Amino acid sequence: MNRKKIISQAFSASLPVFMGYTAMGMAAGILLAGKIQRPDIVFWAFLSSLTSISGALQFAVVDWIGNHTPLLDVALLTLFLNMRYAMYGLPLLKKFKHAGFWKKSYLVWSLTDETFALEAASTITDKKADIRYCLFVAFFDHLYWVTGVTFGAVAGKFLPFSSQGIDFAMTALFLVVLTDQCREKRNRIPAVIGGLSAIAGRIFFSVDNMLIPAMVMMSAAFICLRKNLSRNFSAGETE
Amino acid sequence: MMDSQTLNILLVIFVTATVTISLRALPFLLFADEKKCPAVITYIGKVLSPAAIAMLAVYCLLAVYREQSFADGGFGIPELTAGAVVVLLHWWKRNPLLSIICGTALYMLIVQNFF
Repeated sequence: MNRKKIISQAFSASLPVFMGYTAMGMAAGILLAGKIQRPDIVFWAFLSSLTSISGALQFAVVDWIGNHTPLLDVALLTLFLNMRYAMYGLPLLKKFKHAGFWKKSYLVWSLTDETFALEAASTITDKKADIRYCLFVAFFDHLYWVTGVTFGAVAGKFLPFSSQGIDFAMTALFLVVLTDQCREKRNRIPAVIGGLSAIAGRIFFSVDNMLIPAMVMMSAAFICLRKNLSRNFSAGETE
Repeated sequence: MMDSQTLNILLVIFVTATVTISLRALPFLLFADEKKCPAVITYIGKVLSPAAIAMLAVYCLLAVYREQSFADGGFGIPELTAGAVVVLLHWWKRNPLLSIICGTALYMLIVQNFF
C-alpha cells in the first residue's frame, strides 16, 4: 500500500473525529476563555490541548485554573479521570512493538479514546503500513483537537451557527467500531460485558464518575470468566 | 517575572499533561518485553478492546443526561433512534462515514426540532 493511499484512508477514518473534536474542543475553548479573562488565554488553550489531548480533562482544567485548585489535587483528579488510558496500550502493545522510538512515543502520547478506537480497529496486515496509518490517524485527531480548543478560545462566546447535537458523531463513531468488532463472534461477549458494566456504573455513579467503576467491574468479570473467554481467543487465532 | 496566575496556569497544564501522558505510557513501559508480559495481561488486552469501546459507546449515549433530566432529553429516544440507525446502516452497508453522517444528521434534526 502506498503512502498516499494510507494517508487518504487515515484521513477518511478520522473525519467523524473531526466533527466530534472540533465541536467538543470549541466548547472547551469557549468555556476557558469565558472563565479566565486574559489576553493570552488563546496561547494557554493551545498549549493545554496540544500537550494533554484529553476531552473531559480540558473541561476540568477550566475549573482547576479558575478555582486555584492545589496542584496535588489536580494530579490526583487527573489520575482518576484518565485512569482508563493506562488500559488502552494493552491491545496495542504488539501493533506498536516495531515502531521506532520517536514514532512509538508519539503514538503513545496521542492515545485518546477515539484514536485508540480507530487504531485498535485497523485491519491493515502490513506492519509498517499499519504503523504509518496509526501515525496519521493520531496526527489528524490531534490536529482537530488543538484546532477546536484554540479556535473556541478565540471565538469566545460568539458562535454563529446551531451545532446542537453534532457531538453525536463521536457516539456514532464508537457504535460503528463496535458494530465492526461484533462481526467477529468472539468479541460479542466482551462487548456485552463492557456495555453492561457502563450501565451499572451509571446506575451507581454520576456520568462524570462512572468510567472507573465500570472498568473495575468489567475487569473483575473478565478475571472470573477467564477460563471460558480465553478459549475463544486462543483457538483459531489469526494474529 | 511571571505573576502568580500565569505560573498557576503553567503548572496546571504541566501537571495534567504529565499525569495523562504517563498513564498512556504505563503499559508500554511495564510490558516492553512481550514475552515477560503475564498471560493474564495479554488476555485482558484482547477482551478489553471490544469491551472498552462498548463502554465508551454507552457512556457517550448517557452523557447527554449530564446536565438535563431524562424527561427533558426525550427519554433517550433521540439517542436510541439515531444509535439504532447507525448500527443497522453500518451492519448493512459497512461504510463508516455514511453511517456516522446519517446518524449524526438524524440526531441533530431530532434534538433541534422535537426536544
